[in-house]
Amino acid sequence: MAQSANDRRRINGPEESFTPVFDDEDDEDFKLKTQRKRGPGDIRPIFLQPGLISQANGSAYIETEKTKIACAVYGPRQSKTTTYSEKGRLNVEVKFAPFSCTRRRAPMRDAEDRSIGVSIHQAIVSSIRLELFPKSTIDVFITIIENDGIEGCIASGSLAASTALADAGIEMLGLVASCSAAIVGDGIQLDPTEAEARASSGTVILACMPALDSITSIWQSGQMSADLSLKCMEQCYERCNDIHSVVAQSLLEHRKTD
Amino acid sequence: MSSSSVTNPSAADETLRAQIFQRLHPRVYLERFIAEKIRPDGRTFDEWRNVSVNVGSISTADGSALVRMGDTTIVCGVKAEIAEPELDHPEQGFLVPNIDLPAICSPKFKPGPPTEEAQVLSDRLNEALVASGVLSLSSLCIHPGKAVWTLYVDCTCINYDGNAFDAALLAMLGALRSTTLPKATYNEETGRTTCSRKTRSPVQLTRNFASTSFGVLDTSHVLSDPTAFEEPLMDVTLTVIVDDRGELISTTESGGAISEETLLRCINRAKERALQLKD
Repeated sequence: MAQSANDRRRINGPEESFTPVFDDEDDEDFKLKTQRKRGPGDIRPIFLQPGLISQANGSAYIETEKTKIACAVYGPRQSKTTTYSEKGRLNVEVKFAPFSCTRRRAPMRDAEDRSIGVSIHQAIVSSIRLELFPKSTIDVFITIIENDGIEGCIASGSLAASTALADAGIEMLGLVASCSAAIVGDGIQLDPTEAEARASSGTVILACMPALDSITSIWQSGQMSADLSLKCMEQCYERCNDIHSVVAQSLLEHRKTD
Repeated sequence: MSSSSVTNPSAADETLRAQIFQRLHPRVYLERFIAEKIRPDGRTFDEWRNVSVNVGSISTADGSALVRMGDTTIVCGVKAEIAEPELDHPEQGFLVPNIDLPAICSPKFKPGPPTEEAQVLSDRLNEALVASGVLSLSSLCIHPGKAVWTLYVDCTCINYDGNAFDAALLAMLGALRSTTLPKATYNEETGRTTCSRKTRSPVQLTRNFASTSFGVLDTSHVLSDPTAFEEPLMDVTLTVIVDDRGELISTTESGGAISEETLLRCINRAKERALQLKD
């Protein structure tokens, strides 16, 4: 793992270090633990807390079993560029904490961070009324504290971003709810964990605005027939309605305690 | 707010004017409070903010801690990896602390490489952990000259409301205390190290310590545990690290001159504070 890029800016350890390799004989025990304990149509319980970061205009912290994500929204603030833009800009930046994955991640931002940023950007951009903020930028910063599957990260990240935007008081057309699904064998399992997603043949991540009955983004990867992918999307969409009420509930409770 | 403005227009107005005054003339705003012997958030000069520590909540890390000091929130995780030791210290492992102040924690940090503040904090934390000898590096040895543990202790600030150093040090110690390392065996023939998932043993820490930061305004007013609003207005910042036996580990002072009496007073208060934080 070359760390020469950060040589001067961080404390460095040895030049190369390796993640511990575990004995194979312990794997059987481990496999039993990764069997799914909930039904194929059940998602993991969501804990959503808006207003966690006092320095930001709006913020949210979401926790679903082993995925922990903190999101902060700063804006609308002045755009750094001098070109005039009629519509506001939305800037989504995702950062993994170095201890968030099973292998330690270098603190530099790489392609995976940016691709998750793009997915979340696509999920929420159509819900914000950007035409009300010319020449401004809305910055959404997401820090992934613990990661249990990229699909889970994108789905939870979109939820956290939407909640944080609502907490910041930015005008939106609706709250965005997002859900992911994986094809395992012939069956559809909602909200896959990392182990389940790796064992699956394909995944679908759907983001929508249940209040307006419209879909904002669909990411599908892997191998699946067209019918199966449509069924996945329908199941995700149904689940999104429940998720939407969870998000609305947490925002209302937060406002009441203010 | 809309209903109260009808019956009591001056209250909402007053708050707004106070906020504007705070933004435009922060130092005068702070001085007005100091004249009344109180601070903008309601604390007295030597009152500390509430501290809460939550340990071991992150399963992907070998050790973790979440510290909240008032609003300042810092998450720390420890990841253990295996590396070859240095040639002149074949029995010593590595301890690599780092702190990251990302754009999420405060509007004054922009995304990008670590800012000067983050780099300085990282360096000071590194010095504090090394100078105190909190972890014996030879306890991280798996096989002399071939394989040692490297502990990467990474802190991420989630919310920056001043005094990140104290909170980060507390988080790092909490995370290290909760760190467990799998039992590693070095195979001499293949040169590979394999670990057992079943047996884990905790890391051995030699001592426990806490740091306290103070800010000095106008050479006479010593404010302990400054918030993000007070920090940039301080003339001098002073940090004292004391361990649980009352021994002084390090004192850092930056910004200007302070009297010896102030320094001694701060050291005594730091000792009291270390006892307070023992639990």
